[in-house]
Amino acid sequence: MLNEKKVIMMTKMASYEGTEGKKDSGVVKYYRGDFIGLQIIKSVIYATIAMLIGAVMYILYQFEDIMANINKLNLVTMGKRFLFIFAVVLVVYAVISYAIYSYRYSRARRKQKIYAAYLKQLGALYERDAKK
Amino acid sequence: MSNLLAIREKIKSFYAAFEIYITPALKFITAFVTLLLINKNLGFMGKIGSTAIVLIVALMCSFLPLNFIILFATVFIMAHMYKLSLEIAVFTLCLFLLLYLLYFRFSPKDTFVVVLTPVCFLLKIPYVVPLSMGLIGTPASMISVGCGVIVYYLIRFVHVNASAITQMDPDGSVVRFRYIVDGMLGNKAMLMTIVAFAATITVVYVIRRLAVDHAWTIAIISGSLVNVVVLLAGDLLYDTRIALLGTFAGAIVSAAIAVVLMFFVFNVDYSRTEKVQFEDDDYYYYVKAVPKNTVAPKDRSVKRINAQGGAEENRTANTGTRTADAVRNRTMARTTNGTTRPAGAVNNRVTESGVRPRASAGSDGQGNVRIAGTPGTNRMTSGVPGGNRMANVGSGNGRTAGIPRENSMGRSGAQYPPRRNPE
Repeated sequence: MLNEKKVIMMTKMASYEGTEGKKDSGVVKYYRGDFIGLQIIKSVIYATIAMLIGAVMYILYQFEDIMANINKLNLVTMGKRFLFIFAVVLVVYAVISYAIYSYRYSRARRKQKIYAAYLKQLGALYERDAKK
Repeated sequence: MSNLLAIREKIKSFYAAFEIYITPALKFITAFVTLLLINKNLGFMGKIGSTAIVLIVALMCSFLPLNFIILFATVFIMAHMYKLSLEIAVFTLCLFLLLYLLYFRFSPKDTFVVVLTPVCFLLKIPYVVPLSMGLIGTPASMISVGCGVIVYYLIRFVHVNASAITQMDPDGSVVRFRYIVDGMLGNKAMLMTIVAFAATITVVYVIRRLAVDHAWTIAIISGSLVNVVVLLAGDLLYDTRIALLGTFAGAIVSAAIAVVLMFFVFNVDYSRTEKVQFEDDDYYYYVKAVPKNTVAPKDRSVKRINAQGGAEENRTANTGTRTADAVRNRTMARTTNGTTRPAGAVNNRVTESGVRPRASAGSDGQGNVRIAGTPGTNRMTSGVPGGNRMANVGSGNGRTAGIPRENSMGRSGAQYPPRRNPE
């Protein structure tokens, strides 16, 4: 005999498990600070690689001027300018990453709590059926 | 209008029945059209330009996840650029890497828009993209659309200037590199298009979420107007030389397509049909969940008549609460354990002017049990609202049976239901 309520609940839970549940369960295994810190570190690495690509493109673009003035280049000034831009890009990207992953962590945790509550409800249904 | 509704119902049931075939077919058509357009507009490498290769790759894409279409489109573009000029290929690779590292890393759900935008541009219906993304996406979609615009203008620039690039001095690598960088960075039309699309998406998104009648229609019209106005303003400021007649005609056609999209998306959500399998002690379940339209319900008022005195009213006014409330009300009606049943529960009156939620079971003739759920989505995530207030039913003498409340959840780790011992 099919218990419709149970099937509906289990369908929703299975649907969640199959889609977002996998990601969310991986997210909530971390503490909030650890998760956000890990994502910020990844973002910093990606931003560094992106900055290096940007620097390569800039050098290629200015290649002729650089080769013509190579003896007159003030590498220290150029280096400071590059580091300043690098720091600004890193900070901006880290702040954006913090905001996004902080929101994602809260959302994943909230959904996991809801899922756990559904499990409790399902458990209560099973217990009730067992008593009958 | 009733004919349109009848047609919509037929299409809906057709899709629900044959979704397993329709989705790969749609992916195949999308991949085929995308690769064909890339070959037509770039086409410098003859080997991958043949229809047979395109067909084989499109066939592969029909069975692979959607993001593989993006991957193959990138490979095709890189191949054509490499055949044309190494410097152009290097620039294209750097651009794609920057897009990937700075944006795709966050993996928003609409990364496919980066492919769809250039395709719509090449099909001469570019303004459909910001209108559609404003209707079905979020403001973050403007980044995807912006990236798509950049990709389109890159393809267009190379297509238009291919002969000039090939005629350049073969030893002038830096000249060719500077040529394409200047061409892209100095492209005012591209910048104005990105601004116009971002403004359109924002306007459409904000207006369609308003609680007014015909919000979506107003959003489409406003979005089209904003799009045209910003493009015209850009033309005046920067002399981008856009075709005015084409812009107006494109806006009208795009608005019409967006209205069609609104008709289907607002009423039927095709994208979230889900198939799940699970088992318990008695049955194996193979369930196909087809979500119904998510129409915002009318305001509901739950009047509790408490034995302690006074009547209280709680108001729930959100689509997502409907399913949970329906479960709760039925659970409340059947609970026999005195400790979990709040005093006066039988006197709860739920009044709502919308459709009363119901659940019915039936077989769809294919051996699968079809549970027609309560109105609203069948997703658990919207069945119990995240971030929304839940009605506080109960006299506060303890946890009511099985009702998840956000502030009372705290046990970590899922507890699976205890199995019954076979008798």
